[in-house]
Amino acid sequence: MIEKKQQIFNKLGLHARAAAKLSHMANMYSADIYLIYNEDKVNAKSLLGILTLAASVGNEITLQAAGVDEQEAIKAIGDLFDRKFDEEG
Amino acid sequence: MIKSVIITHGNLGRELVQVTEKILEQKLDIETIAFDWQGDGSAMISQLESFIARHPGKKVVIFTDMFGGSPSNISTRFVGPSVEVISGINLPGLLKFFCCGEHNGSFRQVIKKVEQGAKEGINIISEYLGEKK
Repeated sequence: MIEKKQQIFNKLGLHARAAAKLSHMANMYSADIYLIYNEDKVNAKSLLGILTLAASVGNEITLQAAGVDEQEAIKAIGDLFDRKFDEEG
Repeated sequence: MIKSVIITHGNLGRELVQVTEKILEQKLDIETIAFDWQGDGSAMISQLESFIARHPGKKVVIFTDMFGGSPSNISTRFVGPSVEVISGINLPGLLKFFCCGEHNGSFRQVIKKVEQGAKEGINIISEYLGEKK
């Protein structure tokens, strides 16, 4: 199991479209993937679960993955955060 | 693969589908039927019969906007082993149905997940925040 601290860079935070992209990407991996924010831990493969975090820009989230492709999953999802979910040009 | 149709008062269903498509960035495989305010519902019945007839052997879910409303009442007559109706559908419910491999599991399991997602999308925010504090 690996973890990565990840900053939220996009202005709208983990809103609907970002959560959709994130959950879609998480579902491409067999590893169990979670997002941890404050006291909450949600399945990264669940769009509605991600939305319950209401995680906003400037805050830090923990990505957690466990499984054969955990490294690739964390890398891909971290890149998605870094690219601001491709929504800010 | 579960086939789906949404039947609502006016164009509510079409709008819900368009917003869901925008969020998921994909075209959805769902038909929309708008309730004819002036009609007696016979047009909706025909459209539903046609939809189900076009998908023989497939599971079908009919989403409606409100339990007890005409779209829901008319849909109820089609409930059976291969057809289920979910009333009061909302954006979280549609997202649950269409996003991210949510069709995994039996027909019943998928239907229950959508119902749960739709219900959990309704919150009094102050109470929700209070629970989290």
